[in-house]
Amino acid sequence: MIEFKEVTKNYYSLTALDNITMTLPQGEVIGLLGPNGAGKTTLIKLIAGIISPTKGELRVHEGNGRWPSIGYKPERLVFPGNLMTSQYLEMVAGLCNIDRAEIDNVVLESLAQVNLLAAAGKQIKTLSKGMRQRLGLAQSLIGNPDLILLDEPSSGLDPEGQEEMQVYIEELRAGGKTVVLSSHQLHEVTRVCTYLIILKSGKVHYQNPMAEALTLRPHVAIQVDRPPNPSQELLTMIHRNILIEGNEVILRDEAIAMRRQVLSVLINQGYDIARIEQRRTTLAEIYAEVMQ
Amino acid sequence: MIRAMIRRISILAGYYAKGVFFSLTGLILLIFSLVYWSVFFPPGQGTPDVENYIVLIGAWGAAATFLATLALSGRASRLENYPLITRLPSRVEYLVAVLLGSLILGAFMQLLVAGLALIRGPEITSVQLLAIPPVWLSINLLAAVLACHASDLVTAGWSRVILFGFIAIALVFNSAASGPDSWFSDRFTDLAQLFARLNLMWFSDLSVSMASWAARSPLAPVAQAVSMIFWPFNAISDAIFSGRFTPSQALAPAILVLYGTILFLIAATLFAGKDLEFLE
Repeated sequence: MIEFKEVTKNYYSLTALDNITMTLPQGEVIGLLGPNGAGKTTLIKLIAGIISPTKGELRVHEGNGRWPSIGYKPERLVFPGNLMTSQYLEMVAGLCNIDRAEIDNVVLESLAQVNLLAAAGKQIKTLSKGMRQRLGLAQSLIGNPDLILLDEPSSGLDPEGQEEMQVYIEELRAGGKTVVLSSHQLHEVTRVCTYLIILKSGKVHYQNPMAEALTLRPHVAIQVDRPPNPSQELLTMIHRNILIEGNEVILRDEAIAMRRQVLSVLINQGYDIARIEQRRTTLAEIYAEVMQ
Repeated sequence: MIRAMIRRISILAGYYAKGVFFSLTGLILLIFSLVYWSVFFPPGQGTPDVENYIVLIGAWGAAATFLATLALSGRASRLENYPLITRLPSRVEYLVAVLLGSLILGAFMQLLVAGLALIRGPEITSVQLLAIPPVWLSINLLAAVLACHASDLVTAGWSRVILFGFIAIALVFNSAASGPDSWFSDRFTDLAQLFARLNLMWFSDLSVSMASWAARSPLAPVAQAVSMIFWPFNAISDAIFSGRFTPSQALAPAILVLYGTILFLIAATLFAGKDLEFLE
């Protein structure tokens, strides 16, 4: 359980987090979204205990009140380059109180978990960026921590690497781990997260379980043969719940009931209707709405 | 639980000490040690006094430990350490690891010089040998904790300026305590003359006023009181040069350890409450 009570974090005159009160659930993969400077990294550093709140109270504990062990993968990944991959993980394992006799096995397991076994004997400075990201994840998983903090884990990875990273996080989710994940990649958050928080200018603007967030506002998408160029008549009809995105006219909430009207306007204007689809809200839509 | 804590501290201390030892900083420390040995204990010079041996190598131990602590705390302030520090139940363990690593590295440099200085060096009696570890260790510990306060790892706000400013003022009072009663007044008079030569008459007049104030004020007793802080150093030095420790002098290393402990508690409090902004 992670509890924020009126937490504010200032860096001199800059307010990075502004009066945040929320409780993050245990056993969820919590996605933190927001533009650069929204306070995502500050929030993760606060949970990791690297920085302290300027005001308010932050409590990070397990159900029994014990301070949990924390695995942390920072946004900027730097390792002691002269160490070998396995040596570095052995040191982290030692800090996690893993028995000496078990350290080798634990290190090999964690390397295997992120598909990095081949790099066990390599110096870290010789690893590629993707391998370092995986090493960052491996070190955060060692010792089976109660809480895993991942700050932009897919940053700078190629599509294949991103896919792999998402699979690893899905495995953590299946294992019931509490993961706090900061990301700019909406598809990644949609795929792996079970709880969503959107930050903007240091404040929490949206907070919901992911399943609830995505089913909360179903919508209808009318796909036409070319990007609609709304006529005056259509424009007067359009209000905030009708959006035009590419070749699609999106109808949400009470606008769904207006679909016949919208269809007739589009047909009268000579558009061919390619498809009409009932859809769930996408994370992109939620995000765009929060950011407006 | 304590065994686990000791293990975590040992792992980090070993990691940082090894990292610094096999770096350019380690090489420089090693070179400094050899230069110190060749300057103060050149093999051609013959047998040095045991007292000089203990004092000079004690001083080098403190200097080497101070430098080693600065190097280790610099290494411990690097960005790569975030994942390590989040694994520890308490930040104090991290600070203890840095101190322990520094003490090990400082002691290595000290023992290196101590060993080399025994070449055609003094014959040390078993009584003298027994006096060496508490003296050297207590001074090294104090040097390590002071270096922690001087480092970016521990310092928070104006803490570094306040601590070392206080030490500087205490040193001035210590000098005054060993001089005549008019010490402060004489120093302000010297300053007034200096300012007058530089044609800074406003400052010169101010210094004259301060000299006159110092002559009227009972600063000498204050200086005597403040200089008590430095008693352990004087006691150790007196004991070494007299060849034996009196019962009260034997307490001096313990008082230095007490100083170190108090300063460590301050350092731990500062470090536990500060935001860690590690740099690449």
